Amino acid sequence: MRPDIEALLTAERAKQDSQAKASSFSLNVDRRQFLKVSALASGGLFIGFSAAHATQSASRASEFNPNAFIHLQENGDLLIYSGRCEMGQGISTALPSVVADEMEADWSFVRVEQAEGNEEKFGSQATGGSASIRTMYEPMRQAGAAAREMLVAAAAKVWNTTTDNCYAQQHHVFNKTNGKKLGYGELAPIAATLPVPEAPTLKSKSDFNYIGKALPRHDVGMVIEGKRTYGVDVKVPGMQYAAIVHCPVMGGTLKSLDKTDALKVQGVTAVVEVAPLKVPFGSLGGVAVVANNSWSAQQGVEKLKVEWDRGEHGSYDTDVYMQELVRNVEKPAEKIAERGDLERAFKDAKHTVSATYTEGHLVHAPMEPNASVVAVHDGHCEVWASTQSPDDIQSVLSGFLGIDKKNVKVNVMICGGAFGRKFKCDYVQEAAAISKAVGTPIQLTWTREEDTRTGYYHSNSAQHIEASLDENGEVTGWLHRVAFPSINTLFNPAIQFAPANAVSEIETHPFGIANLRSESGLAPAHTRIGWYRAVYAIFWGFGYGVFADELAQKAGVDTVTMLNRLYDGNTNPEQAEQVARSKAVLALAAEKSGFGKKLPKGEGIGIAVHYSFQTYVAMAVHVRMKGDDFEVVRVDSAVDCGQVLNKDGATAQQEGAVAMGISLSKYCEIKFKDGAVVNGNFNDYPVMRIADMPEVHVHFVESDASPTGLGEPGMAPFAPALSNALYQASGKRHRSLPIQPLRT
Amino acid sequence: MSKKITINNQSYDIDVPENMPLLWFLRDRLEFTGTKFGCGKGLCGACTVHVDGQATRSCVMPVGALAGRNVTTIEGLSDNADHPLQKAWLEVGVPQCGYCQAGQIMNAASLLANNTSPSDQDIDNAMQGNICRCGTYQRIKKAINIAAYELAKEVS
Repeated sequence: MRPDIEALLTAERAKQDSQAKASSFSLNVDRRQFLKVSALASGGLFIGFSAAHATQSASRASEFNPNAFIHLQENGDLLIYSGRCEMGQGISTALPSVVADEMEADWSFVRVEQAEGNEEKFGSQATGGSASIRTMYEPMRQAGAAAREMLVAAAAKVWNTTTDNCYAQQHHVFNKTNGKKLGYGELAPIAATLPVPEAPTLKSKSDFNYIGKALPRHDVGMVIEGKRTYGVDVKVPGMQYAAIVHCPVMGGTLKSLDKTDALKVQGVTAVVEVAPLKVPFGSLGGVAVVANNSWSAQQGVEKLKVEWDRGEHGSYDTDVYMQELVRNVEKPAEKIAERGDLERAFKDAKHTVSATYTEGHLVHAPMEPNASVVAVHDGHCEVWASTQSPDDIQSVLSGFLGIDKKNVKVNVMICGGAFGRKFKCDYVQEAAAISKAVGTPIQLTWTREEDTRTGYYHSNSAQHIEASLDENGEVTGWLHRVAFPSINTLFNPAIQFAPANAVSEIETHPFGIANLRSESGLAPAHTRIGWYRAVYAIFWGFGYGVFADELAQKAGVDTVTMLNRLYDGNTNPEQAEQVARSKAVLALAAEKSGFGKKLPKGEGIGIAVHYSFQTYVAMAVHVRMKGDDFEVVRVDSAVDCGQVLNKDGATAQQEGAVAMGISLSKYCEIKFKDGAVVNGNFNDYPVMRIADMPEVHVHFVESDASPTGLGEPGMAPFAPALSNALYQASGKRHRSLPIQPLRT
Repeated sequence: MSKKITINNQSYDIDVPENMPLLWFLRDRLEFTGTKFGCGKGLCGACTVHVDGQATRSCVMPVGALAGRNVTTIEGLSDNADHPLQKAWLEVGVPQCGYCQAGQIMNAASLLANNTSPSDQDIDNAMQGNICRCGTYQRIKKAINIAAYELAKEVS
């Protein structure tokens, strides 16, 4: 350490000691602040902060629940903890890069580590709803800016000058008068003794080093060497491996079990009955086999002789159920919302248009099947899990094991894909049940078949829309009936109709419809329903997007014209921004794709736009027919997510949405017969492969608005744009997803 | 005396049941976890390794059948993560979740070993067995093209 800094530090610490004695509070914890700063034992600067701060009530705000940390060490190394789960969306690069940018840190000194999943200590890490960037961007900037200002103040002290005479740039503070500079590392110990700025000044957009640029992911180097550790890769001392077969029907029970042959498999040590746990995200119930390797455990499961009592949902058949859903939306259903005079609109109509749209169940099918390691001890347990919600793991295991939440330690591993599935921790609770039964740490890895058959499925759905048009081709009335088993049934199985909060899309959709009525049809759940990337926006986007195309056809105008008419009819000032931004992405996608241009026979461009998770996306899809089949040639995606945080990551999310969109539009459907899932692996649950991948061009609207998330919003407009393109190319209207269903 | 297998230039005893798939011998016995489990049926390609240089689905390949053979996993593809494909993967920023990527890279390495200037069609055909649910296919194609170009430069 430089002698002048050391002397200053000694003086500052002496001052602190005397002040600390006079105060019952530890120093530098300003209780009105959400930032906390302290010296590291090794002499560096440590800042913790709480993103919950903004939403906490006044009384809660006095508690300190940091959920992200910055460690600046004396050698300049900067460790930034990621307080959101990584599943490929790049959040563990995006959020730390915001801190680094505001801090004027040099990214090459940054190391990112995943924060421990400990709600009490670090706050919630639940990751979903495309909410991470939307909710964390400002707090991350504040923390980075505070750190920068403290480092500048530290340098000013060393030079005995004013902070105005100093500025921070790329891991250094510079002296404007004499051009001298000090490194962040050497300043860290001094900064740690200084008060936290009350309202740090944020950088202006033109000064951003990383925000809005294409900063590479921090972890690609690990991935290409096979060194990134997922939940499925964790090894702990004394660990055994387990595989499981589940009851194939929700609510079913174990009738008989013969484990004789399973126990004869070389390597197998135990067979454990895992009881159903009737709480949300608890196990569906099953039988597990424990062995000294995963393969023996899987062999053991195949040798089990198990009979199930299928219970009340044992006759669930998705083909029959879909017919019921369609019937239930093609007749009056439960009224949810109404405005204007719909009856009058239809009476005065020049034309009416009506159509019914359907979509089947989907399973997430991330490449890494559900996997975790759990070690249950007396009174506490430790978990290593690929998860989107360590908070729920703490809650569920605390309830299941009868121990305090704080005694459930969760190590958050990167998910090998998640798409909403790994928000639900049934697989972790099962590993805990097995570990408890056999007394060793357990790694439970589901087979692909169990992952497919024991899901939390995307709702199957039917929508029926009827609209009235006047002589000018303006839409005057809109009746929208929908029936789908809702996610609410996970928490209250008695729910028979998708409730108002699941159907509010119709009332709040930014199309301006003067006379409107929404209705929810009977749709009880016969399986577990769960969030799937973009959730209900998938079928809302499909219904609205294809119906707009059908309206355009009826009115004799192109789709973009009809969509603009629908938006222009919205006179609600509270939705003016939604209307303007929706129209802007629509125009951008149309322009970039050449929508409306003359194409060779058998080709078509379709377009659709959807606002979801506070982000606007329009997609134009160009298809070419190949006999009865088709290929997607090109996709232009126009996105308004406010300030783009990481251009490369944001682009990747759109590419991913197109790929997942092709899968669900073209191939994916989970079918049930006799209460159980028919599909099992990628042979009978096909997903898109490389030859199906089109050219994807992503265009961002230049914006200074607060950033919003991108994990999900790209999903909604793809399928309707594809369907509309196929209509252009072939004259055939596709109103059901998937377009090429698996024949069972 | 047990049979031996060479993995990333090191010899190991095959000290597990011979019908255990290579995948689980790698992952659970030797703790080479870079090779991933995706489907267990040779349908997704996440478990791809090289056996004597050829891309092989390790989840359906009994380890006992590989006595005396040379296996390369992602951990042994290059000495310093400097295989042209690894460099191209970094340059393009291919991975999202990354789980399928070892299999993708190993499969692509086998393709380039057999075909130094693959057409887009060749790439599609060779890579069709490797699923990526995050949808990184466009970047995979681009990275393979870059690596092929770099390899061609090295040769000439």
